[in-house]
Amino acid sequence: MQLSLRIALIIATLIYLFFILRAIRRKKLQISLSVFWIFTAIALIISLAIPNFIEQISKWLGFEVTTNMIFCVTIFIAFYLIFSLMILISDLKRKNVKLIQEISILKKKVEDIESNMKL
Amino acid sequence: MKILLIIPAYNEQDNILKVCKTIEKYNEKNEQKVDYVVINDGSKDKTLEILQENKLNHINLINNLGIGGAVQTGYKYAYNNEYDIAIQFDGDGQHDINYVKNICEPILKGQADMCIGTRYLDKSKSEFQSTFMRRLGSNIISLFIKMTCHKQITDPTSGFRAGNKQVIKEFALDYPTEYPEPESTVCLLKSGYKVLEVPVSMNERTGGKSSIRLWKSVDYMIKVSLAIIIDSMNARKKVK
Repeated sequence: MQLSLRIALIIATLIYLFFILRAIRRKKLQISLSVFWIFTAIALIISLAIPNFIEQISKWLGFEVTTNMIFCVTIFIAFYLIFSLMILISDLKRKNVKLIQEISILKKKVEDIESNMKL
Repeated sequence: MKILLIIPAYNEQDNILKVCKTIEKYNEKNEQKVDYVVINDGSKDKTLEILQENKLNHINLINNLGIGGAVQTGYKYAYNNEYDIAIQFDGDGQHDINYVKNICEPILKGQADMCIGTRYLDKSKSEFQSTFMRRLGSNIISLFIKMTCHKQITDPTSGFRAGNKQVIKEFALDYPTEYPEPESTVCLLKSGYKVLEVPVSMNERTGGKSSIRLWKSVDYMIKVSLAIIIDSMNARKKVK
């Protein structure tokens, strides 16, 4: 990888890290969820800063082309992310159903009491 | 003995008043009175207006939940108000109110914790036996339940079912909202509750649409089968 490309990528990653930190500071992202994004940014910077780092690892693991390893890792991470989001959605859905039920029952109770008081 | 009919209703403006009237008529004729609560599941038509105008006992869900979530709301209501028996009853006029006695009988005698009204047991009586595809689907689900719970349930998708106090509590706390009828049966069986079936006859739908459409049925079958297997695996034995 050429030096100029590496520097450009490192700068891009730093900007990415800046946006993540800004989002956390403005409380748009929970800290527990942001750990993942900070780690990916740090891992990216490290692997870009050390010359031939990615190439060496991919050779060592037995990938024929370096980009194959990058695609492979990226897809795995994306799968993991989608899966954890699905778990999160299922959990939210369940809680949402419970909220709707409880609120609706409460509303009915309140209406019953109000109509009783009028009588 | 307090009995509650849980009537889930989604876009049932043509039927819901009729259904409630038949219940009131039933109460005039019978000694064992039944209460009812209509669960309006975020209907887009005039169901809510009809419920309010006629002062029918109802709970209005502030958002659409689907049949499972609506029915569970009914069970929660039954639990809060300490009903002894809760009966699921369709809001579309499919179920016959006169069978309430039959469906409660095994529970009153202590023979069963839950009792399902079955279309297929008594062939001579039932006017509405349902289509071939539906039968096929029911048979497959039955087979799955038999394999996992070793119990024959001939009509696992029947929405006409009664549960005693323990079942009400169980359902109020935790009810499978995705594929409610077959899944809840499996959960109860696996927890060691007694489930019985009694023959009932059902009318053909007088209006509205069935919640299971043909093009969805294959998808439904696969997911229900999967749900039954998963439920049977992680259901816990109840200490009784």
